[in-house]
Parts: sequence; structure tokens; C-alpha cells
Amino acid sequence: MSNENNQSKPTPPVAAAAAERGHRRLWDLTRGERLRYGAAVASMTLGVMLTLIVPVVWLGAIDAIAGQLGAPGGDGPAATSPQSQDAQGPDRQGGDAQGGDAQGRDAQGRDAQGRDARGQGVQGLSGNRSQPVEAWFADLAAERGLRNTLLIAAGLGVLLTVLAGACHYLRGRWSAQSAERIVRRLRERLYGHLSELPCRELERLDTGDLVQRCTSDVETVKTFLSVQVVEIGRAALLLLCVLPLLVWLHPLMAAVSLALFPFIIALAVVFFRRIKTAFQAADEAEARMTSVLQENLTGIRVVRAFARQEFEQDKFAAANAEHRDLTARLIRLLGDYWAVSDGLCFMQLGAVFLTGGWLMSRGALSLGEFVAFQVLVTMVIWPVRQLGRLLTDSGKAVVSLGRLEEVLRIPEEDDGTQGQVAPPSVPLHGELELAGLGFAFEAQDEPVLDDVSLRVEPGQTLALLGPPGSGKSVLIQLLLRLYDGYAGSIRLDGRELSTLPRKDVRAQIGAVLAEPFLYSRTIADNVRVGWADAPEDALHQATSSAAIHEAVVGFRDGYETLVGERGVTLSGGQRQRLALARALLKDPAILVLDDALSAVDTHTEAHILEALRARRGRRTTIIISHRLSSVVHADQIVVLERGRVVQAGTHAELTAREGPYERLWRIQGALEATIGETA
Amino acid sequence: MSQVLTLTDEHDDEPQEGVDWALWRRLLQYTRPYRRDVRLLMLGALGAAATEVAFPLLTRVLVDDVAAGTAVDFVGYGLRYAALIALMVASVWLFIYVGGRLRTHIGHDIRRDGFENLQRLSFSYFDRRPVGWLMARMTADCDRLTMILAWGVLDIVWGTALTLGIAAAMLAMNVGLGLLVLAVVPVLAWVSLRFQKRLLLTSRNIRGMNSRITAAYNEHVMGVRTSKIFVREQHDLARFGELTAAMQAASVRNAVLAALYLPLVMTLGSVAAGLALAQGGFSAVAGSISVGTLVAFVTYAGKFFEPVQELAAVFAELQMAQAAAERIVGLVEAEPEIVDGPDVRAAAARGDVHAPMSGALEFRDVCFAYETGEPVLEHFDLVVQPGETIALVGATGGGKSTIVNLLCRFYEPTSGEILIDGVDYRRHGLHWLHAQLGIVSQVPHLFRGTITDNIRYGRLDAGDDEVREAARLAGADDVIAALPDGFDAEVGEGGARLSTGARQLVSFARAILARPRLVVLDEATSSVDTETEERIQAGLEHVLADRTSFVIAHRLSTVRSADRILVIDGGRMLEVGSHAELMARRGRYHALYTRQSLRDVSRVEGAWPV
Repeated sequence: MSNENNQSKPTPPVAAAAAERGHRRLWDLTRGERLRYGAAVASMTLGVMLTLIVPVVWLGAIDAIAGQLGAPGGDGPAATSPQSQDAQGPDRQGGDAQGGDAQGRDAQGRDAQGRDARGQGVQGLSGNRSQPVEAWFADLAAERGLRNTLLIAAGLGVLLTVLAGACHYLRGRWSAQSAERIVRRLRERLYGHLSELPCRELERLDTGDLVQRCTSDVETVKTFLSVQVVEIGRAALLLLCVLPLLVWLHPLMAAVSLALFPFIIALAVVFFRRIKTAFQAADEAEARMTSVLQENLTGIRVVRAFARQEFEQDKFAAANAEHRDLTARLIRLLGDYWAVSDGLCFMQLGAVFLTGGWLMSRGALSLGEFVAFQVLVTMVIWPVRQLGRLLTDSGKAVVSLGRLEEVLRIPEEDDGTQGQVAPPSVPLHGELELAGLGFAFEAQDEPVLDDVSLRVEPGQTLALLGPPGSGKSVLIQLLLRLYDGYAGSIRLDGRELSTLPRKDVRAQIGAVLAEPFLYSRTIADNVRVGWADAPEDALHQATSSAAIHEAVVGFRDGYETLVGERGVTLSGGQRQRLALARALLKDPAILVLDDALSAVDTHTEAHILEALRARRGRRTTIIISHRLSSVVHADQIVVLERGRVVQAGTHAELTAREGPYERLWRIQGALEATIGETA
Repeated sequence: MSQVLTLTDEHDDEPQEGVDWALWRRLLQYTRPYRRDVRLLMLGALGAAATEVAFPLLTRVLVDDVAAGTAVDFVGYGLRYAALIALMVASVWLFIYVGGRLRTHIGHDIRRDGFENLQRLSFSYFDRRPVGWLMARMTADCDRLTMILAWGVLDIVWGTALTLGIAAAMLAMNVGLGLLVLAVVPVLAWVSLRFQKRLLLTSRNIRGMNSRITAAYNEHVMGVRTSKIFVREQHDLARFGELTAAMQAASVRNAVLAALYLPLVMTLGSVAAGLALAQGGFSAVAGSISVGTLVAFVTYAGKFFEPVQELAAVFAELQMAQAAAERIVGLVEAEPEIVDGPDVRAAAARGDVHAPMSGALEFRDVCFAYETGEPVLEHFDLVVQPGETIALVGATGGGKSTIVNLLCRFYEPTSGEILIDGVDYRRHGLHWLHAQLGIVSQVPHLFRGTITDNIRYGRLDAGDDEVREAARLAGADDVIAALPDGFDAEVGEGGARLSTGARQLVSFARAILARPRLVVLDEATSSVDTETEERIQAGLEHVLADRTSFVIAHRLSTVRSADRILVIDGGRMLEVGSHAELMARRGRYHALYTRQSLRDVSRVEGAWPV
């Protein structure tokens, strides 16, 4: 489902240089693992070779048996008769000494001999052959007797398999180790990258899409590295190794044995490319069904409240049936494919069977070779058939890699000092001065802040009032250096904000936002976000000041209670108070409350404000609120409208003159009067 | 089905000893409507197994023919081989086709039943099960079980048939040699079962870890501001590192285990083949078996590995997925706690139509306790006249929401009764009550779709102008007009694209459109500004004339003009009366609103309903 969404996501514009950096980054990820990967490939190659030798051993053993059977009645130049063994001697040596040339001659001679030997009964099974393997086994049989020869062959088969198995194990171990290490590094790089992205960038991106990239796309890359690369390599190696082996054993049979392979691979590639849309359709139908289900379950109270069960059931039934039908269709297509592909594979095996049988009956192929061909082709054909699908699937990894690069290419936040040497981060006193501050999201946009000037002495409390969209929150974001690019000046303890390292600034400000974010960890963990190693009593003091300690103690697991779906569900007010406790525990030079007590009831709020007043004179506080109760005691109240300061002063000053603040205050007065009346 | 629930992980199935066949039989009920398909599936499996047994036999005959030196009928062999291929292709096609159909249909049916039951189950069921948990049951668990039901059946039939077929063929050819080769099979089965089980365990572990990594990323992105503000980036990364390290270790462990398994099985296979070769070769030379038989034995010896491995995998999966099966069966078979009685159902079946609700309500000695046993409401009595507005005030957790939930029959009283129009509401249908209800809650839920879709949820057959009128009455029209697509704007999942205030307005419009007889407002205007709230109240005044309503609010402005105000705390009604009466009494209510000298100024004006 998300594929479509993902593709349509605007890719952040990036310079070509940055793109290249992204590529290199991914290649860099594999650093340190390349050697191990290489070892895995080497081990796999060795394993494949050893595996392929096993049928050749059987070939020799079977021919030795066939030779023994042929011996009693053998009147021709049977391989196992004493004379023919002698006769084979030089031939074999020649083959050993002169390599390929000798083999070429060998093959020609074999054909001629085959024709001669035709119709010679069991001799046909042993063939008039001079393969070194056969000869070696024949010698062995003559020396040690057949029983020992067979035991040696069987033992050799087991030994080779064990060795091949060891290679297989090492390959599996090494490739998994390197793939997992690479993927782990990728995961951590993404994680670290995300928290270094500028807020403006993150606001543009979709959370679900980002998370999906970091999980399923990484998973796709991982499957590629740990499974597909290895499987493709194995199939290719098998094919590469079996080809010379088959040709060496019998060129004509080799040609017949591999005749259908190109078609089998081609069919797979074409089919799996074609079927993509059916896969996609089924996936999308599943996503739709899941989303209907999720909507229903999250809104189950609304469904009940409006008695809409039937409506919902119809909706789900449609999605459920669509999912069923599209998946069934996909499986049907797969069924067609596997049936046809199986048919091709068995036709290939059938060709080996019939041609082999025919050659054998003409004495041009030994029984051992006949068996070896069947075994070898069977060994290779199934992995090779998977090759087509693997090749198509691995295309997904390329797409995923691209999507991950897109994320990694988004430039990270710099340290914010504009190249100047960062001054040593001394604790701030909390003096804040804005002069002619202006800010707009885009140059052409109307400014969100316009010529704002104010000054807060260390330890003072500043209250910001104003309707939504008046620029209060943006001011805070600028102060926290979450947004860049303001006009005018912001000075902290006399130093221009844009020259201070971002993280140093943030470390000195404790901000509580209206919709606070809590981690799904324990309550203690959540508060300790403010100060990781805070001692118990500091923790409790912070929560007491935030008027949440009592509530926490009331939970069954107290401070160890989990927050979130698997633990307690906190009310909005409780969440805000926990977030406040977190900021208080940090004990910052400047405390910022951005509409941070909106969900706290008035009684509790009073308690909290009382606690905050204790900080007065020691720490600077900035309060944004809709409630006058929160702001009346501030040293300075600033009313913002459309990004401009329309009023500033103390409560007494502002109530004394006409204006927005005084109007708010009068409404308040009117209410007091009503209460007085009715009381 | 045990009702004990541990909300640990969604992959928390414990491997169980043995296979609980009774449980699987219950799930097998789902194959009932598709008996013919099951038979065809088995037929396909048997066909494929038979073909696989037959191929080496054909080789055997050919080899013996060639050995005998007589003229070999290659056309005949070609035809026979072609026939086997045709049978194989047909079988493969059949079992994939039918298996796919079975899988998808059974999955569909289980989901259908599960969904239907979820629509009936009481809220107490949902209280103990997060949405994510239920989703996992209906998707991942369900898929897994249908896979087992369709492909597991296939594998069991195919694997058993093939193993038995090969064994029978070998024993028929030569008993002694057959027994010798077969000796490897029990070892193979034992090794396979052990490994398959451990592999399943490790991969389950990986799945669990994977969902934790997903959750970690999600939290990371959602909480990135917090992370930045508190300069926690390094700390969070280190924490995440622990998770990825564990994931890496688990994945490697799983891969190593798998890498160990295959060589073991391969070795066992080569031992079997070696035995066949050595002993068979000797027998062949001695003349007790033919060369063809020897070849057939060698081929068969290598063929056990696949079916035995598949069988082991299925049995391991059967044991492993048992917990998932229990959960699905539990979900489908769970009995809702709140249902219509038999007489109500009979009346509904007869088509009896209840008169519309007049709105007279009575709580008679109502007590309520959640399953934890703690009483939430004790001996609550209240009589409400039709059209009356009742406001509930008091501290969070005092029982206000419980009263409303009981009234809506989302829960039923533990003791006592609630009467609507003079009759115990259990004798009315649930549907009757809910169809006349209008609820707006503090955190309203909207469905994915447009604004119009969401408002129309209140009354499905409402026309566009009725939807617009409802929006106007709810004071939502300005907010909607400000959206890029107006009424056609998509609200996003759960309404996430709208602000909380806008969501409240839309849910207001939805409730208005439903023309409810009984209205419940649960902190419904907490997130809208003063001006809008005034307009809502004006609209509601018109819409809610002579409807009984319950209002929960903290804000004085909202409760002031209710006909009666109940102060609820600790599950009891402490005070009751009009605003003036309660203020005059100088009790709890008075304290609640005067202790605080200054109030929420932005929202002071107006009161609901006027």
C-alpha cells in the first residue's frame, strides 16, 4: 500500500555531490566486512565443488560394480577384464599427462568404440571408457576387492559431504555475520541521522513513511545481503562448476542436459517481472483490509454509539472479499507458473533420462555416468530455477537502497555556530534580549514574527499572550534553535544565538510543549529524560513541584509503571505534568512553558504556579498561556498579535490602560460578578 | 478459553509440548464448507508423491533393460516418462490452485467471524486488549493459521505419502537393503524436529525484536523534538544500539543454526546413499538384486530428506502456533457480556418497533465495579425528566464517565437497574438505545475519509445539504471552509489531519445529524475557542430542545446553566442542584469554583446550553 505513497513523496532536493556522498555512505557501510564476505564466497565455492564431486565418486563405484558384473560373461574389451585394464593403463596416463587434448581424442575414440560395442549386454553398462575416475576405481577393485572399494567409495561420499557441509556452515555463518553487522550499522546510522535532521525537514516528511523506510526497506536490503546474494551466487556457481564437469564427463550428454536451462531461467525472469502487478494488487488489497479493520477497532466506541455495526460489517466484508479474491488470483497465477516450470524441469530430466538410456544402450555411456548425469542435473536444476525469481526479487533491494539513500541524503543540522569557534559552554544566567526579531517560513511568505523587541533579566518571568497564530510558539522554536534564519537579533547573556552551538543552547533551556511527548518507558525513565542520573529525591522533588508525584505513587507500580499502550493511559493533564517534571528536573537556566498546563485543572495549576514561583529570581521563566491565572504574576506580560508586539508591561500597567489585555481582564471581572451574584 | 491475558508481546506464543489436536480440529471446522477442495488438495499431494516415487522405478526398469542387452523400446519409455510429467504437472497445478483457494477462503471466513464478533463484544473486552493486539490476531495470526491449515495439510499428506511410498518401494525391491537404508530415517526425523523447533523459536525471537525496532523508530520520529530539546540524541542512539545489537545476535544465531542443520541432514543423506551403494553394490554383484535396483536404491536414499524435513517443519509449527490458534479461537468464540435478552431478540425478529425514546431516565440503586473489583459507583440514584440537562462535575476518576457509560449501556450495572421510559433498559434492544444516542467525547474519533463521510456517519442516508446544515449548527462550517478541499477534505487516519478542536466540531456535527433523543457531551468543547463555543451553544440550543442530555465538564461556563448539576466524587453523588442553589450552599461545588480566583479567560463567556 505504502509503495505508491512512498514513490509520490517529494524527494528533498539535493545537490549531486550530496547524492554521491549518499552512495559512498552505503558502500562505506560494508567496510570491514568485505574480507569476511569474500571468505564466505570462497567457502561457498569450495563447498559447491565438493558437493559436485560426490556423484562422480558414485559414478566410479557404480561402474566398478557394473564392470564386475560384466567380467564373467565379458568377451569384448570390457573395462574390468584384466586385459582391458592393462590396455587402459597407458590411455589413462595419457589422459592425465596431456589434459584436454587427450580428452578430446578420448571422446572421439569413445564414440567409435561405443558403436563397436553396441549390443554387448552388460558391457553396455560399463562402457568402453577410460575416464580416470573409472579407471581409478577399477584399479582399486582389482587390488582390494570390490567390497573394500565400495566401502571406500561410500566413505569418500560421506567425507566429501561432511567437508562440503563444513563449507556450507562457514559460508552461512560468515555471510550472516557480515550481513547482520552491515544492517546493524545501517539501522543505527538511520536512527542517528533522523535525530540530527532539522525540524523543518522533519515536518515535511511523513512519519509512517520514514518508519517504513527504516524498517521494511532495511529488511529488504538485509534479505538481499544475507539471502539473495548468497543464493544467486550459489546457483551461479553451481551452474559454472557443473558445466565443465558435465562436458568433461560427456560433451553430448552435457549439451542435452543443459538444453532447457535457458528457457527455465527466462521463463522465471519474465514471469516474476510480469506478476509484480498481481503481487502489488494483493498487497494493496491487504493493506486496505487492514486499514478498515484498524479504523473500526480504534473507532469502536463511535461505531457502537451510532449503532453502525451493520454498516461496518458490510465495509469489512467488501475489503475482506477483495483481499481474498486478489490473493487467490495471485496464487492461481503462481500455480500456473510452477506447474509449467516444473514441467520444463522434468522435461529436462526426461531428456537426460532418455538420451542417457539410449547412449548407454549403445555403449557410449557407462551406467555410472548415466546415474551421475541424473544426479548432477537434479542437483543444479532446482537452485537454477530459483535464480529467475531471485534476480527479480533482488531488484527490490535496489529500489529500497535508493529509498534509504534518499533519507540519508537529507542534510543534517550543523552545529549552528556558522563556522565560528564555539565558545566554551558556560552555564547561562538566563538573560534574554530580542531586538527587531523577524521570521518567515519562506522568504515570500508573510512574516510570522515582525520586529519583536523585548528584554528579560535573569530570573524574571515573561508571559506571552496572544491568539493562535500570533507567533508565540515560533518564537520558542527559534529560541531552541529548532528553526534557523531569523532577522534581527536574539541574545542570550549578550551573545548572539546564531553563533552558539545548538546543543549547548538546548541544554540550557527546558521546554514543555502543549502536547508533550512521552516515551513508552517507565514513568521514572520519562522524567529522567531531563537528567539521566538524577538521584531519587531530586526526581521526587521535580514530580512534587509538577503536582504529579501523588498520582504516580497511586499507580500499582509507582515510578516503574510503564507509560503507553502496554502500561497506564495517562490523561492529558497528567502527561503535561510529567513533561513539566521532566523540564524541572533538568533545572535549566530558562524554563519555557508553551501552553503547557492547558489540560491541567485550575486547582492543580495553582499548586504548580506556586511551586514555579519558588524559582523566581533564580531562573528565567517564559510562560505562554491562554489563562490569565497563569500570567498575572509575571514580571512582564507581552501581548502578541500577528507576529507583532501590541502590548507589553506588568499586570498592573496593562490593566490600567485600554487594550486587549484590559479587555480580557474585564470579561474576567464580569464573571466574578456573576459568581458573586449567584452566591 | 482462558480469559487471562498477558499483554507482553504480540509474538508471545510459547512452544507447547505435544500437539493439541482438539484445538486444531476446532479450526478445521473452517474447512467444512470446502470439503471438496480439501479432497482435491489431498489428491494433488498424493499425485505428486506418487510421481516422485515412480521416477526412480522407471529408471530401474530402463537400466535393467539396457543391462539385459535386448532391444530397448525408447518410444515406450518416452511415453511413460511423459505420462509421469503430465501427472506431476497436473498435481502441482492442482494443489497450488486448490491450496491457494482454501487458504484465502478460510482466512476470509475466520476474519469475517472474528470481525462480526468484535462488533458484538462489550467494551470490557476492548479495555483489556489494545488495538494493536487485536490487529495482530486478525492479521498475522490469522494468516499463519490459514497457512498451516492449507499448506500444512498438504505437506502432511505429501510428506507422509512420499515417505511411505519410498519405504514401500524399497522394501518391495529388497527387504534387507530397504531396512538398512530406512534405519537412517528415524535419526533424520529426530534431528529435523529438534532443529525445526529451535529455528522457529529463534525466528520468533527475531520477529519480536523486529517489532520492537519498528516501535523504536516510530517513537524516535514522533519524539524527535523532545530528543532535541533535551539533547538526548546520543543517549537515545546508545539505547537503540542495545536493541540492534540484540537483533544482530539473534539473527546470526538463527542463521548459524540453519547453516548447521543442512550439513547434518546432507550428511545423513550421504550415509544412507553410501549404505545403499556399498551393500547394494555387493548384493548386485552377488546377483541378489539387479543393477537397476541398485540405482533405484541410491536415488531413493537421497530422497527422504525433503519430505521428512517438511513433516518436521509442520509439526514444529503446529506446536508453535498453538498459542496463536487458541487466541484466534478465543476471539471468534468470546461471548459478549452485554447482549440482548432472548425476549428482546424474539421481538426484534418479529419486527416489533419500539416507540422513540421520550427521554425519561432513572438510575435505581446502581452499583458498578470494573473487573478489578474496585467499586467505581455505589448506590447511585437519579431520576431525570425528559428534556432535562444534567451536568456532572467532580475530580477525574470520581465516576462521572462511568455514569455516562452505564447510561449508554456500554457497561451494565453490577447491581441495581437503569430505566428508560420507565422500563429496565435491558428490556429494550441495544440497537434501539444506541440508535437514539448522540455522543461527543473529549478526544473524538474520526474515520479515514472526507469531512462529509464523517458527518454522514451520524445518519447514513442524509443528503449533502443536511450534512452542511449539521456542520453549520455545530459551528464547524468556518473551520471546514478554511480547509483546502472544504467538505471533501480528507481527515486522515483517526482524523489526525485536523486539530483537536476541529475534530470536536466535526464530531459535534455528526452527533447533530443523528438527531439523537439522548445526548452525552463528555468534555466535548474543551479544545475549541470561546467564539466557536458560543456558536456551538447557539446551534445546540436549537437542535437539542426537549432532548435529555448529560454534560461532563470541568469548566464552569459549560455547566452553569444545566438544569441540575451533580457533584460526583469517589463514586458517590455529593451535591445536587442548580448552579444558584449549589453556590448558595457553599459546599463542594462552591469550593470547586471559588478557590480559584481567576479563571480561564479565553473561554469564560457564554454557557451551555443557555
